[in-house]
Amino acid sequence: MSTRPRITFDDRGWCNACQWMEEKKTLDWSARRTELERLLERLRHTDGGFDCIVPVSGGKDGSYVSYQLKHVHGMNPLAVTVTPALVLPLGNDNLRRFIDSGYDHVQINPNPEVMRRLNTEGFVHKGFPYYGWLIAIQAGVLRLAAKLGISLVMYGEEGETEYGGSSEFKYRATVSIDYMRKVYLEDGQDTVFAASKLAASDLQFYTFPTVEELGGRELLIGRWSYFESWDPYRNYLVAKEHCGLYERPDTNVGTFTNFAQNDQALYALHTYLMYLKFGFGRATQDAGIEIRRGAMTRDQGLNLVRLYDDSFPAEHLEEYLAYYRMTLPEFDDVLARWVNRDLFELRDGRWRPTFTPR
Amino acid sequence: MAPRVVVVDYGMGNLTSVRHALEYLGAKVEPTDDPRRLGGARLAILPGVGSFRAAMHNLHERRFVDALRDFVGDPSRRLLGICLGMQLLCASSTEDAPTEGLGLLDVPVTRFPEDPSGRLKVPHVGFAAVRPGLGSALLPEAHGPADFYFVHSFRVDPDGCPGVVGRARHGRDFVAMVEQGNVAGTQFHPEKSQSSGLRLLARWLTDAA
Amino acid sequence: MKRIIFTLLYGDGAFHLSRNFRLQRIGDADWLERNYDFSRVGFAIDELVVLDVSRGVRSPEDFAATLIRTTRSCFAPVAAGGGVRSVDDARRLLRSGADKVVVNTATAEDPGLVADLARAFGAQCVVASVDAVRTEAGPVAVVDRGGREVGPLRAHLERIGSLPVGELLLTAVDRDGTGQGLDLGLLNEVPASVRCPVILSGGIGYSSHIHEGLTDPRVDAVATANLLNFVGDGLERARSETRDHGSHVAHFDADEARRLAGAAAATAGA
Repeated sequence: MSTRPRITFDDRGWCNACQWMEEKKTLDWSARRTELERLLERLRHTDGGFDCIVPVSGGKDGSYVSYQLKHVHGMNPLAVTVTPALVLPLGNDNLRRFIDSGYDHVQINPNPEVMRRLNTEGFVHKGFPYYGWLIAIQAGVLRLAAKLGISLVMYGEEGETEYGGSSEFKYRATVSIDYMRKVYLEDGQDTVFAASKLAASDLQFYTFPTVEELGGRELLIGRWSYFESWDPYRNYLVAKEHCGLYERPDTNVGTFTNFAQNDQALYALHTYLMYLKFGFGRATQDAGIEIRRGAMTRDQGLNLVRLYDDSFPAEHLEEYLAYYRMTLPEFDDVLARWVNRDLFELRDGRWRPTFTPR
Repeated sequence: MAPRVVVVDYGMGNLTSVRHALEYLGAKVEPTDDPRRLGGARLAILPGVGSFRAAMHNLHERRFVDALRDFVGDPSRRLLGICLGMQLLCASSTEDAPTEGLGLLDVPVTRFPEDPSGRLKVPHVGFAAVRPGLGSALLPEAHGPADFYFVHSFRVDPDGCPGVVGRARHGRDFVAMVEQGNVAGTQFHPEKSQSSGLRLLARWLTDAA
Repeated sequence: MKRIIFTLLYGDGAFHLSRNFRLQRIGDADWLERNYDFSRVGFAIDELVVLDVSRGVRSPEDFAATLIRTTRSCFAPVAAGGGVRSVDDARRLLRSGADKVVVNTATAEDPGLVADLARAFGAQCVVASVDAVRTEAGPVAVVDRGGREVGPLRAHLERIGSLPVGELLLTAVDRDGTGQGLDLGLLNEVPASVRCPVILSGGIGYSSHIHEGLTDPRVDAVATANLLNFVGDGLERARSETRDHGSHVAHFDADEARRLAGAAAATAGA
């Protein structure tokens, strides 16, 4: 029995992420590459117009995809960022360096107070600390694509396939808006919108494009991990070399890496909630990545999980409280609402695991 | 009562490691550059890293040569030479230029021969199995071979070496350990040889004279 | 018998993980003590290397103090280096628990220093460290933590072959910290004039990489600085797994060593 939604295990005890890793080794990637090339061939603009949008944060994944589309496949991508809340200086610098390395870029700055309300309600009602932003990088970006008449939005990885969730889209190049709503956003938009009491005029960046808006034009929501074997470390190396990416000088909270997710302070809270809900934290996620790319054994990963998973994001706590406009007891109440009590118990004000990672 | 050991400081060799190992085992260690301190000691260690020629020069200059010979003249006392220290106990070495040693062991020290195939690396660096010979007090034969740390370019040929009680191999066999009366020598560094080294030093410290 | 060497990268007050020579601060000396009990895992390695990787102004006193503390429970050989620019720098390290001194930049820019060190302490006390990067024109040697190119790797190694050094430590920068395995191909660049033992490093993630390295006849030892992969019981596991794979490495007994503590203290009539 697993605590993580949508994960499945085979009779070796391998979850679908690892099974996918195995499959990736023998998959016919050349066929998928051909599929990509055909798709891009069809969409490539010869008049100089933008032919695809790449959502980026300035981090390794969006930078990698942008680099591939522009310099390897000769497309004319428009990079788009939706500014998150509590931006980290390193993230900002990385984004600037990415843009400076030579990309056309649009920065969407949704009304911060609106995002704050949505993030807060998402935190409370869905246990997703940056839910508002999560909606915007999907709905808002797609809506922009629709308005600009761009037919392809290329995201990075398909999180469910790569990290152990639903396998529904393992063999499909694109996802649907419906899938994004139901799975990525876990169908929580309506609840969160209602709780936030925001008007339609506030939610322009949080509304998916309608059929009418699309006006009969196609809008493909692609994921790069379908077309090429997804390798976060490879992405990091390319971003480092070609897009000016810098890592943190020290380790990110809750894990053992320093080169991923450096753009927003709420990410650490997001992975902490993941830990409380499911019993695995950022270190587990990163260890899984390292194990699957062959850089570490499971035993080694386990040692790191034991060392780093249980990490409360104390360095940002004051910011979180100020941002959500909560007192510490109120904040703790939200955590208490989402924690899996089969896995954790409250001791001295912190949730401590009653399990040992094995 | 803790055994007291004098460690000869003649300006060469990592005394810190030797001292560290001996103190770990519970000995009281006195590093000294004064040969007179040997007079009151029952246990002494001659360490050494570097050139034979420079070492003998320093020993002469600091007047340790006679003091060491006097020391071993008393059978109730024990001397252990480590690495270059073991080589110094010998008759001579060809390092730099032929140089006379302390002469407590009547054998020469010579260089590992050049290997045209390039497979035999010099210096010999790393752990190697030492095979104990008959009658060793420091590494009883019954124990079987043990791994010790070596780092040297010169060695003693076991053929014709009196008191050889331990051999190791680097291309061919060489003298890893020698015991003759109250004088012992190890080509390896027991203070750098993990558990085997500690065990050997413990035996040396507690061995009844 | 070949060696498994563990490397610690210390600088600016902390121990670091290196990935392609970009550093990530992991923890201070307390962190190391908590996650690497050297009184135990010291017996899982053949040698410890401690390098000063400070990016800013170096503090030799702090490094020496850390070296002393780290090697306190170590009964295996220790090599130390990083920023060695004089015989005094080397002497400080040798007095702080090191048995050998590692020199990198000096091998390219001050070979006279290498000769001085050999004269003062013996050639076997000197380890020449060379960092290699693969370029389109072939592998090149770099210094200053990858910041400056020296020239073709083979030519640099030829020069090293004529210097009085005891060992060569060759590191593949492209593999460093990636956990993708050693770059055995770099060994093709080691000329016959290099007659000393060769330690290969850069890319070890786990035991099969170690075993692969030790199996190559040109390799005398492998080294890893992967501070994350080997926390806790990682080094002990790696050694026994490497042996299981078929590599011949020395036998050490941590339990016996522990039992020997103070064993000679109560000696009758001593």
